[in-house]
Amino acid sequence: MTDTELATPSGSKKSRAERLSTIRKAWPWFFLILMVVVFAIISKNANNVNFLNYRSVQGILVYATQILLIGLAETIIIISGNGGIDLSVHYSLGLAAVVAAFVMRAMFAASLPPVLTIGTGFLAGILICIIPGWVNGTLVAKVKVPPFISTLGMGYVVYGIALLLSRGQAIADQPDYLAQIGNGNLLYYWPKHGFTFFKVPAGAAPADLQQIIPLIPNVVAITLLVTIAVWFILAKTQFGQHIYAIGGNIQASIRSGIPVASTLTRAYILAAILAGIAGVIWTARFTSGASNAGEPTLLFAIAAVVIGGTSMFGGEGSVVGTVIGALIIATIQYGLVVLGQQPYWQYVTVGVVVIIAVIVDQLGRALEHS
Amino acid sequence: MEPILRAVNLTKKFGGLVAVDNVSFDVSPGEVIGLVGDNGAGKSTFIKMISGVYQPDGGEIFFNGKKVSFADPRDARDQGIETIYQDLALAENLDVGANIFLGRELKKKFFSEFISRILFSAVLGLPLAVLFAWAAFHFFQWPGLLLGMLTGLGLGSVLGWLFACVTQLVDRRKMAGESAGALKRLDIEIPSLTQQVRNLSGGQRQSVAIARSIYWNARMMIMDEPTAALGVSEQRKVLTLVRTLASQGVPVIIISHNMQDVFAVADRIVILRRGKKVGEQIAAKTTPDKIVSLMVGAETVHKMGVIPRALENNGSAKV
Repeated sequence: MTDTELATPSGSKKSRAERLSTIRKAWPWFFLILMVVVFAIISKNANNVNFLNYRSVQGILVYATQILLIGLAETIIIISGNGGIDLSVHYSLGLAAVVAAFVMRAMFAASLPPVLTIGTGFLAGILICIIPGWVNGTLVAKVKVPPFISTLGMGYVVYGIALLLSRGQAIADQPDYLAQIGNGNLLYYWPKHGFTFFKVPAGAAPADLQQIIPLIPNVVAITLLVTIAVWFILAKTQFGQHIYAIGGNIQASIRSGIPVASTLTRAYILAAILAGIAGVIWTARFTSGASNAGEPTLLFAIAAVVIGGTSMFGGEGSVVGTVIGALIIATIQYGLVVLGQQPYWQYVTVGVVVIIAVIVDQLGRALEHS
Repeated sequence: MEPILRAVNLTKKFGGLVAVDNVSFDVSPGEVIGLVGDNGAGKSTFIKMISGVYQPDGGEIFFNGKKVSFADPRDARDQGIETIYQDLALAENLDVGANIFLGRELKKKFFSEFISRILFSAVLGLPLAVLFAWAAFHFFQWPGLLLGMLTGLGLGSVLGWLFACVTQLVDRRKMAGESAGALKRLDIEIPSLTQQVRNLSGGQRQSVAIARSIYWNARMMIMDEPTAALGVSEQRKVLTLVRTLASQGVPVIIISHNMQDVFAVADRIVILRRGKKVGEQIAAKTTPDKIVSLMVGAETVHKMGVIPRALENNGSAKV
């Protein structure tokens, strides 16, 4: 017995509004598929390149990771409503990258064991973000500074501190095994020889490397795990339910005894931690830390959230929507590269897609409530 | 019958203005009371003293035979006095079940949040402490070890606070089931409990707010202009619901400008005028004219020969 049946003893069907909203929420899927098909056709005809292969899929997924992680942070904050937005997460990303790189460089120079170096570096990078997250949350929830202002200010503070720490330079001299994490894969497949985990098969000669198929990049696997965790928190836990409730009606939430201040504070810390994870992933991918690591990501991430159907007014949205939104943007970015176009077109294309997304969303809502 | 609520000589002053002046009345179980009065007569102020928003400057409130004073609205609600304002306090983006259990969600039982917090703090904090102590020891020797350990444990407790939520799962099935039951007991029909409350009609939303109060053991209900924003058939449904509440022993105080509504549901009508109680009438033994003349002051009606526009519109008042 489904929940619907349980709730409606008469067995009445779903209302028209409910059906329309299902269609409205499904549209990003159609758009993603459309996007892939369009790129596949154009690349086949114009450049005679095959777009539909596992390399493209992998490329798109890797492109999507950073947008997705920052997008998840924004999803949580934007759902919490009341003007909620976090304009500091991409700078927290930079701070995490710098701190992680800083710690790992020092520990590598002291030739400490790899596990310790990586573990401490990653954790220091991620956990340092608790501080800006907590400050943001406290400013928004307790001091009642509008999120736009408090996170904008905090963003500059964080950026400045990251610049001071790194003296404005990329922190290189990272351990050699770091690239293996950032650019390696969970699984390698060597036809006729079988699978290996984490490493290219030991017996492979340089000539064989062409044949070896890398499956599941590490960064994609990590992002996937984090995404599932955030989905679980938003969709299944009481904390997630409270975030939706606060986004829907903060006064009612206060009156019904939801701990609004603590919930919001936790939301901002969670967002900053997600940015921290994106930051250490950046460090691992590029084997260096830079304060501007997250520079172009913020607006792409917000675009992904909007394309995914999350309402900027709060109370509505989902992790799945943001995943699709991030994939759509990554497909555009990767597709333009495959087509050999100037990458600057990505800004034009993403901009158009965001506007179309919002128009479709509004039309859908208007229909539902007519 | 023993009254459930007794308000004795309640007084509220704002600076020099006496908003409510020595008003007393009783509410018995199963009774519907209409509280009427012109704008500024003191209805809202009086209600806010009973529901804990304002503290009275004079007088006493007895609830269930005991003298009570409410620190805030939450206090009043915890003791069983529920007030439903026109905004209904619903989260319109959530479904009926989520609204009935707003802030008091039913959870799948694992551990309490407190235990989960301690567990997470320990599970995350101890490895962090070891790792950080180990790393810091290499650079700063013994002070580093201590500092690393403390940092690890501190971060562990923060993470415990942050991630304790992952064991606190909302039980939507159970909430939907309980909600269906709560609505059924009040004969409320809502086509689909899984749709957002914003897609429901005004009357249905009102019903959800009422069902929520009843589910959480409201002993008395105060409703502020419940029919104001509703269509005619919806109004009738809400008024029927008010009678249902009364028949189940929950008294209702209903504030309304609409004489038809008041006469349709109220057993007794209390009339306030300029902060004073100017009348208390059994609904069956009085007429709208009588009430109106008490509301605006009999002399005024006779002297001016007119009825305020608001009363003219619903056609129930003729002089």
